[in-house]
Amino acid sequence: MTIVACAALLIGILIYIFYPQRKTEEQTQKTRLEYLRERKETIYENLRDLNFEYRAGKYPEEDYLAQRAAMENEAAQVLSEIEFLEDNVPAA
Amino acid sequence: MAAFGSFAILLGLVLCAYNLVVGAIALRQIAVHPQASLAPERLAESARRAGIGSFIALSAAAFALVYCAFTNDFSVAYILHHSNRALPWPYKFAALWSGQEGSLLLWAWLLAAYGFVLRVRHRVDVKLTAYASTILAAVQVFFTLLIVFPAPPFALVQGAIPTDGFGLNPLLQYPEMVIHPPMLYLGYVGFSVPFAFALGALMMRYPGEKWIHITRRWTMVTWLFLTCGIFLGMHWAYAVLGWGGYWGWDPVENASLMPWLTGTAFLHSVMMQEKRGMMKSWNVWLIFTTFMLSILGTLLTRSGLVSSVHAFAESSIGTWFWAFLVIVLAVCLFTYILQRDNLQSEHKIESLVSRESSFLFNNLVLLAACFTILWGTLFPIISEYVEGSKVTVGPPFYNRVAVPIGIFLLLLTGIGPVLAWRSTSFKSVRRNFLWPVIAGVATALILMAAGMRPWQDIGTLYSLMTFSLGALVTTAIVTEFWRGSRVIQRHTGKNMLSSLVQLTRRNTRRYGGYMVHLGVAIVFIGLAGSAFNQSAEQEMGFHDSMTIGPYRLVCQSYTQDSNANYDSEYELLNVYKNGKFLLQMAPERRFYHASQQTETMVADHSTLERDLYVVYEGANPDTNQPIIKVFINPLVAWIWIGVLVMALGTLLALVPNMSAEQAAQSRKPMEESVALPAGVGD
Amino acid sequence: MRRFLPSRIFDRSLLRTWGQLTVACLLVIFMAGAGDTAARYNQIGHQLMCTCGCNQVLLECNHVGCTVSTQEEAELRADLGRGDSNQLILQNFVQKYGPTVLAAPPEHGFDLVAWITPGLFLLLATLGTAFLIRKWKLHTVAMPPEAAADARTDAILAKIRRETEL
Repeated sequence: MTIVACAALLIGILIYIFYPQRKTEEQTQKTRLEYLRERKETIYENLRDLNFEYRAGKYPEEDYLAQRAAMENEAAQVLSEIEFLEDNVPAA
Repeated sequence: MAAFGSFAILLGLVLCAYNLVVGAIALRQIAVHPQASLAPERLAESARRAGIGSFIALSAAAFALVYCAFTNDFSVAYILHHSNRALPWPYKFAALWSGQEGSLLLWAWLLAAYGFVLRVRHRVDVKLTAYASTILAAVQVFFTLLIVFPAPPFALVQGAIPTDGFGLNPLLQYPEMVIHPPMLYLGYVGFSVPFAFALGALMMRYPGEKWIHITRRWTMVTWLFLTCGIFLGMHWAYAVLGWGGYWGWDPVENASLMPWLTGTAFLHSVMMQEKRGMMKSWNVWLIFTTFMLSILGTLLTRSGLVSSVHAFAESSIGTWFWAFLVIVLAVCLFTYILQRDNLQSEHKIESLVSRESSFLFNNLVLLAACFTILWGTLFPIISEYVEGSKVTVGPPFYNRVAVPIGIFLLLLTGIGPVLAWRSTSFKSVRRNFLWPVIAGVATALILMAAGMRPWQDIGTLYSLMTFSLGALVTTAIVTEFWRGSRVIQRHTGKNMLSSLVQLTRRNTRRYGGYMVHLGVAIVFIGLAGSAFNQSAEQEMGFHDSMTIGPYRLVCQSYTQDSNANYDSEYELLNVYKNGKFLLQMAPERRFYHASQQTETMVADHSTLERDLYVVYEGANPDTNQPIIKVFINPLVAWIWIGVLVMALGTLLALVPNMSAEQAAQSRKPMEESVALPAGVGD
Repeated sequence: MRRFLPSRIFDRSLLRTWGQLTVACLLVIFMAGAGDTAARYNQIGHQLMCTCGCNQVLLECNHVGCTVSTQEEAELRADLGRGDSNQLILQNFVQKYGPTVLAAPPEHGFDLVAWITPGLFLLLATLGTAFLIRKWKLHTVAMPPEAAADARTDAILAKIRRETEL
């Protein structure tokens, strides 16, 4: 009984592991474009957050304007690089 | 069944080892020849599946052990020593983690379970998960080795098999003990996942901070488990051990608190990396430290290096843990030195008065607290080495050194959320702190007017500070919710309540986090009550009475009872409050047959204001009358309520944010401006 | 409102008041130590450990049938009855049961290190962090100058503004 149970467990797991796969998930290296899109999302979130906190009264006007300008510039750089890459690199 | 269990463990070991070795080879090949054919990816896939297989194998082993417990298979030494026939079934189930071998099996199984989820969800980022899975497999190999060699749970009894087991330690025969250890283990083990991801991301030079996003929920869930585990332990100590307290600064308690402190620091500072690309090296080392501290805690308490109330069997297992710890440290150091150029900060702190620097100080204080506890736990060893004699580092040490740090931490709990990211000007600091500070000062004044005398002793001073800071933190958090809701209200035109709901749903992590802070403040208020504890002890025969605080206890009767599992002695007490009958209490003492051990069952009447905590100490051998010890512990209930709030807050933070579309639907219909974007930062 | 500004908190006259308050507090705490016998029993009993190996504070030792703690408690009562000073009582216990009977390390000799180190750690870490922030602040590069205001940049900026507006 024990031997049957052990054998069943062993064989079941071995079949699961080595059963030939038609398609395996590819380990792709993250592209610059993907990275930039992540960056864009982060900066966007930070900007929304800044807008929200300004409305909630956490920043005086001048701080808010300076910080928004800095972040918008950062976002603009990322966006223009994204546009550049999207135009020049064919979609995979 | 024992043979099947042993086989399943061995199979589990082979499978993790396969995952580790083959996974590492495949990753190496893919890294060296990125354009190579499909072969290494096939290898990597089989390694991943072996990892999943290890979970199945270890599940089978855990099932086998529980099966042995339920079928009273006393040929297995572990079952013989931790169970008996008369044991109620939930405790038979709990036998899985009531001894060293079983709890290591549980640890290995939980590790495999976390690994299972991680490997199944590998599509989040196939390559990063492959790295994390391989690292996790290495940790799994260590824990599975432990249950194969030094602590096998299925070892058989030599010679004749006894007809009944020695029973479960009666201290552990309590409902919370069924869930406290697995919770704590889920917490300890869970940190392996963010650890594996962090190390993996460092090894593969992962670009960007997405890995933090991937591990965010893991870390929060782990933290929740550890928090619940620690507090369940506290509640167990309070309700079962019968010494009137919940925290004794015992090495085992300290061991669970240390990774909690660094883990809390990690949860905070990781936000700086996610949002601002800062503190990368720091975060990596925080999670490394947290992982190593959870290993060190186990090492300290199980190797007999420091003495503890928790009577774990001392064994050779300490050597294994030492070796593992050294290897982990070496791997972390080596990887860090090799890859540290990938951890350059993208931003610097711009102002001393900002959310970032408040996180920095919070990290500092949490780390100082962790260091203090580690120092206190290790100092007896240091002292023995230097002076030749051991000293005790007990509660008075921690109360003097750690309590001020805790109070400072409470202050930061209130300050942090109010500060803005990047920089906060003095003008807005003044505006945002006005109400919290007023609330804090007013609370202090009211309490002093009500008769608190903080200048009389340090305990009262500390508790006054805690109450006052508790009010400050609560007000700060309530105003945060209020301000946010106002913005939503102005924007959508909804009423305040639905604005509040929408505010929370738009950014669950932030507002869930605030709720956790609120819970922390409530817990601290409960802890501060301990400065006003009272206790009295008295021999109480028939109709004897005793007065403590507003209560008068009168003995109605005392008697003895017996059942298959234990004998018991108890006393019935009528409790009067200010002259009026309140309730009847029955403190009890049990003698368990199987384990030949005695245990007290505390009678506790808990209200928001105070706990009346009554212990049956035993009978006076001369007069044969019971000795009753009574404690009045103010505000203890607040601790458990606070933990509940913390847990709810964490659960809230785990809920995904409202999507942009949903947010758009809920805006003011006549408004023509752009939709409210969801997920307004953290 | 102005009172809460940090510059005022560190004002010299205020500093003196703080100092006096601290001294007063310390005095009161010190004096409170010489209370009545019950309070002293409670106080000293919490500075001692039960030495049976249970690792509990003497007055909190609750494990059933512990003879060691009963004996220690009786000794403590006897010492207090004789009118010994706190210091002497603690010394007697150390002589009889060894240094581990004290619940916390003594505050002299090498054991002083136990008390100082955590504070030192916090102090050094705070100084280190403050220094680090200062260094970072000094090294922060000025904001990059406004990007050239060509039509394309304007379009991108407008897009960003639109997509992140509240």
